[in-house]
Amino acid sequence: MAHDTHHPGTGQDAPLWPWLAAAVAALLGLAAWTQFSASPPVALQQLAKWLPTLLLGLGANIGISVLAMALGTVAGLLIGALSLSTLAPVRGATRLYVQVFRNAPVLVLVYFSTYVFPFELQLHHWRLPFPDWIKVVLGLALPASANVAEIFRGAVQSIPSAQWEAAQSLALSRRDIFRLVVLPQCVRRMLPPWMNLYASITMATSLASLVGVHDVVDAAQIASNTVSRTDFTALIYASLLLLFFAYCYPIARATQALEARHARH
Amino acid sequence: MADSSWLQEAVQATRALGLNYAFVLDAGERQAFARGLWVTLQLCAVTLPLSLLAGVGLASGLNSPRAWLRRPTRVFVELTRNTPTLVQLYCAFLVLNLLINQQLQGRAGNPLTPFAWVVIVVALHKAAFHAEALRAGLQAVPAVTLEAARSLGLSSRQLLLQVELPLALRFALPSLVNNLVDAVKMTAVASAIAVGDVTYESIMIWTQRDNVLELLLLILLYFGLLTWGVSRAGRWLENRLRMPGYGT
Amino acid sequence: MPATDAPKNPPQKAVPTPLVSLRDIHLSFGANEVLKGISLDVLPGQVVSIIGPSGSGKSSLLRCITGLLRPQLGTITVGATRVDRLRHEAELIALRRRVGFVFQQYNLFPHLSVLDNLVLGPVRVNGRPRDEAEHQARELLQRVGLAHKAAAYPGELSGGQQQRVAIARALAMQPELILFDEVTSALDPETVGEVLTVIRELAEDGMTCVLVTHEMRFAAEVSDEVVFTEAGRVVEQGPAARLFGNPQQERTRAFLRRALGASLGSQSYAPDNKVVALPIDRFRFAI
Repeated sequence: MAHDTHHPGTGQDAPLWPWLAAAVAALLGLAAWTQFSASPPVALQQLAKWLPTLLLGLGANIGISVLAMALGTVAGLLIGALSLSTLAPVRGATRLYVQVFRNAPVLVLVYFSTYVFPFELQLHHWRLPFPDWIKVVLGLALPASANVAEIFRGAVQSIPSAQWEAAQSLALSRRDIFRLVVLPQCVRRMLPPWMNLYASITMATSLASLVGVHDVVDAAQIASNTVSRTDFTALIYASLLLLFFAYCYPIARATQALEARHARH
Repeated sequence: MADSSWLQEAVQATRALGLNYAFVLDAGERQAFARGLWVTLQLCAVTLPLSLLAGVGLASGLNSPRAWLRRPTRVFVELTRNTPTLVQLYCAFLVLNLLINQQLQGRAGNPLTPFAWVVIVVALHKAAFHAEALRAGLQAVPAVTLEAARSLGLSSRQLLLQVELPLALRFALPSLVNNLVDAVKMTAVASAIAVGDVTYESIMIWTQRDNVLELLLLILLYFGLLTWGVSRAGRWLENRLRMPGYGT
Repeated sequence: MPATDAPKNPPQKAVPTPLVSLRDIHLSFGANEVLKGISLDVLPGQVVSIIGPSGSGKSSLLRCITGLLRPQLGTITVGATRVDRLRHEAELIALRRRVGFVFQQYNLFPHLSVLDNLVLGPVRVNGRPRDEAEHQARELLQRVGLAHKAAAYPGELSGGQQQRVAIARALAMQPELILFDEVTSALDPETVGEVLTVIRELAEDGMTCVLVTHEMRFAAEVSDEVVFTEAGRVVEQGPAARLFGNPQQERTRAFLRRALGASLGSQSYAPDNKVVALPIDRFRFAI
């Protein structure tokens, strides 16, 4: 339903990409300057030197987020499906799971998975190291799964009951109704909140630095301590902010575009 | 002490379950943990109202007809919403704080403690989400209702205060309460800059005693209690402000 | 099909100065021209109905009178005020205190009780003291038959009840003139009657009314003047008996044929209780 508003500048009035394009251009200009100029500021030189390390760290963050989201989605869909079960105890158990892992601070869950899981796994006589980043993946998969379960349940419940009635009147079984009528519509409704969740999980990977994973935040801290200049510290943390922004903001915009497209249906 | 006996019984009971809560029997550690509980409560008590105020401010900035106010506000909101709180906290505490200290050159004390920085960062982070929720709420007010109010002769100001904002608030309330619950959970990042909240105190204890699981259970219970409290308050408010029969 | 015997206030016999005067109104939304030169006069105490197909700009016309829309061309006068010249909000507010508006979708404020809906305007805009406004509000609710619903919320009322509250809300401002924008179009047929009753009583009490409506029978019964518009222009206007009984333009006849349909029979509804025989052979229904 389209509401015309009387407020100027609601929503995305000025597209942000001109600003971003300008920022990227400025950064590239700075980079070029440091490479080709005789005496660029020391801080910028150092930034150029540390940038590959930062980007490597960011790769670790992205890797963790993708794995955590994949795991969380599979588990969440399962739990979401169980939450619609006809058996009350099953529904209760899933409700408890969702409540616990949605209300727990993500930091606490990351600590939980890091410290509670063993240092290494022993399978017969093989010793598999259980690296920290996998623990973070598991730790983030827990709230991811709880949220995916909620998103799934919300999407199924948002299908108007009229659809159910129509499908039932066609003598479709409950299973078939799910498969042919409800789930295809659910996927579309689930996509925007799911994308939002992915952006949140990516931002939560920054907590991995607190449990010893060598991610981008950790790299920035090492760089800052190594170079030990105020202007460089300011620069590297600003870059850290911008790196996360460059990754998460396009996701947010894509989500909004997706929502806007479906709102017209 | 009179209460040490029931504490000992409680510790014994949990030991039977395989959990080691011996730390509560140590006065120093017990008090440290209690302090942590109190600091977390304080963080929530200050951050939540501040975030709402800042959210209203940002929302009015986003809706302002003046572009010089609106554009920077939107840039700020997008930056804050799309970057991690931890990184924002580091930027604030490790960079801004450092710069402030350098400017002060040790002349006067820096009034911004780490506690204050956590409050500022979390409140502003959540304010960005509040602002979006309020914007969505304002958009949800039907244009025809505003037309009716205008046709009664209400001025723009009266329209805003009597019709638009009350309705927008009611529409935005569930999102706002969700954001506040998130804010409670977010205060845990305080431990990253050594603010003595419950997470930090727990880390101190478990590095000595290696009872991570036990402490995490307590922390989960405590945060669960706080988020439940905020949800209840939110539901009470929703009931008070509900519009009977609306939407039917 | 009952003929009414509601006595009508005759228009002023002395040189009448219109309360509302529209001259050559042109209104466009972007490239879409909705009003293409409408002129209209409403005398004090008159009831004027505007009928016509959807999309002929009737609702936009009403909104121009109260300053919610601004025409590109033309003049609008309400009393001594040139509405098309108003610039400042204070001037528009002064106008809207004198002109009441009732919407198709009632548009009551859902977060306020019925009583608060009625009291908001008088207290905030007219500056009346609250208890005086409440007293008047209760009287108005009594008048529209909803005194027992003062504490209810709009969401708890039926459509007809909400519309009656909306009329009471417009009356609470003590306007000189009330505009009704298709106020029964969103209602169930059973509740249409209760709203029309209220409007009929208002008209009988001498309130100047301009109605945009699809209720032809009602328009015939209650109006002094009926205006038929189509595609943004006035096609025909005149006293109800003449427009319904003996329409001059073919487009008017075509519209009335479609709008009145099979329920027409051989009677029309003239205000002076005379049953006028319709020249029924002009109306051939496709069966």
